[in-house]
Amino acid sequence: MEEETPLTSRLWWTIGALAIAVYALLPVAWLVSLSLKPAADIADGSFIPTEVSFENYQAIFTDPQFPAALRNSLGIALISTVLAVVLATFAAYAIVRLRFPGRGLVLGGSLAIAMFPPVSVIGPLFDMWRSIGLYDTWPGLIIPYMTFTLPLAIFTLSAFFREIPWDLDKAARVDGATPFQAFRKVIAPLAAPGMFTSAILVFIFAWNDFLFAISLTSTNSARTVPAAIAFFTGSSQFTQPTGSVAAASVVVTVPIIVMVLLFQRRIVAGLTSGAVKG
Amino acid sequence: MASITLTDVTKQFPDGTVAVDGASFEIADGEFFILVGPSGCGKSTLLNMIVGLEDISSGKLSVDGEVVNDVDPKDRDMAMVFQSYAIYPHMTVRRNMGFPLELAGIDEAERDRRVEEAAAALELTELLDRKPAALSGGQRQRVAMGRAIVREPRAFLMDEPLSNLDAKLRVQMRTVIARLQQDLGVTTVYVTHDQTEAMTLGDRVAVLRRGKVQQVASPKELYREPTNLFVAGFIGSPAMNFLPGEVEEDGARIRLPIGTFAVPDGLREAVAATSGDLVVGARPEHFEDADLVDAGEGTVTFDATVELVEWLGNELVVHFGIDAEVPGHLRELGEELELEELTNEDRIAVVARLDADSGATEGDTIRMVLDTSEVLLFDAATGDRLHA
Repeated sequence: MEEETPLTSRLWWTIGALAIAVYALLPVAWLVSLSLKPAADIADGSFIPTEVSFENYQAIFTDPQFPAALRNSLGIALISTVLAVVLATFAAYAIVRLRFPGRGLVLGGSLAIAMFPPVSVIGPLFDMWRSIGLYDTWPGLIIPYMTFTLPLAIFTLSAFFREIPWDLDKAARVDGATPFQAFRKVIAPLAAPGMFTSAILVFIFAWNDFLFAISLTSTNSARTVPAAIAFFTGSSQFTQPTGSVAAASVVVTVPIIVMVLLFQRRIVAGLTSGAVKG
Repeated sequence: MASITLTDVTKQFPDGTVAVDGASFEIADGEFFILVGPSGCGKSTLLNMIVGLEDISSGKLSVDGEVVNDVDPKDRDMAMVFQSYAIYPHMTVRRNMGFPLELAGIDEAERDRRVEEAAAALELTELLDRKPAALSGGQRQRVAMGRAIVREPRAFLMDEPLSNLDAKLRVQMRTVIARLQQDLGVTTVYVTHDQTEAMTLGDRVAVLRRGKVQQVASPKELYREPTNLFVAGFIGSPAMNFLPGEVEEDGARIRLPIGTFAVPDGLREAVAATSGDLVVGARPEHFEDADLVDAGEGTVTFDATVELVEWLGNELVVHFGIDAEVPGHLRELGEELELEELTNEDRIAVVARLDADSGATEGDTIRMVLDTSEVLLFDAATGDRLHA
């Protein structure tokens, strides 16, 4: 190939990035377009709506099941995220810093759980939840979400903790901190990017989950948005609920975008630089 | 301020390795005390036990007469400077230095006053609002020092604080630390692997080898009266030269590869008590160009071919070789101390410090004199120095 100047290489990068962005965003744009079309235009085949209407949005919010599902989704995903991140932080810190028997087992065990196909536990879980009264409740979904996201969170966080020089714990201890103070004032702030990363991962998992939500809920009291969308009906039994599904999908995408944009700024690499020499 | 007493302090790790074996010594109030030894000798472990970051397996550690074996590090009121500096990257310099005070519950005004004071002493005033990432290595080192001094602790513990600095800065900071310690008069325990640092900074020095304390003494005593071959070889730069020596049948003279000399009067009995195999230790300054001195009583004169000359202005450092079989134990010592002079099997490299007037040039064979009244005698079997 001919010699590449920085300019042409930048051009290629830009073209590549644009191609990926278009590829990734096209379905979203399509979804937005569908959600803005009035019912009669849904199948008109045009990409840009000829007439913009918000009737689909109005429809999903007047139907009581969608606002309920949105509430469930937000609550369940946020609680799962907070619990999983807090638990994973403590677990990862212990695994990295303490020498206790069975450290390897904890890490290996959690990895094994992560590799477990969720679909294989659905049946037993359904029976168990029914008999102990967790079926169709918030905890009934929070518990499996935590179980399946904890391994990933522990892995992510232990990688972050490993990067934090142990001398910082020791310095804090000598400076007069209790072990917990050392953790709270020195280690946790430094592991914050790791916590935000895991928080995003856990939140997205819980937010997007369909399998557990459809199997372990039956009413508006715990059904989350992905499951609720499946129960959407058209305005009559002969129409497809395409417009409302599209509108609901657009609505549920918003929190994810907000979450990522909020935390993205916190996930800055090199927060620990300057702690030690070099 | 405090005196620190160690009685048979031992550290054994769960895997059975003994890192520190029965260390016993006392560090006086206000003393600058150095722990020195090659890497892996247990000096850092010992320091960590004093500050409380490592448990003491057995033995007793007391501060001002009070046993502190089980006192949590936060309650020992000792400040530590880490080799890696370990300053908190998410805090400004001001908050880093004030952190111990913040934990102690001291109010902000007092905290600021003390931080500013320490910052002024360490020339950090302009940097107080920076984050560590924006500091150079030397500045980070001073922040770590500052964090230690704002607390006005009972003792300073320093774990190789200068080893990450470049040579010039190291010498500069050495003076800063020495002056600071003098001004504050706080008991200081300082770990280093660099014997020059140990000799220049310390009031007293403990030399460690494989977890065992070899000798605790003033730098002068370590240099002049090392207790064994290890200390003799470790202390001093260039290092002491070791020559295999053999006591002659009559017990009155010692034979070296370069000549013989009379057993010093005071050491007759001690020499007689050995098997006859000795190691003779001669500092580089015990050699001299034969043209410049009278080879009188108590000297050995010999010819040597000069291999390398380092001219230092006020003196010449001359390297030459002596053909002799190097006993196995000397070679082992050479390896442990990283003395290349002793690693050949049939040749001992010798370093001599000659007067600047000497005409020694590379490749020449010159006459050299060894002043045997100054040499040290060691029992080859035990490595201990013979003394009266």
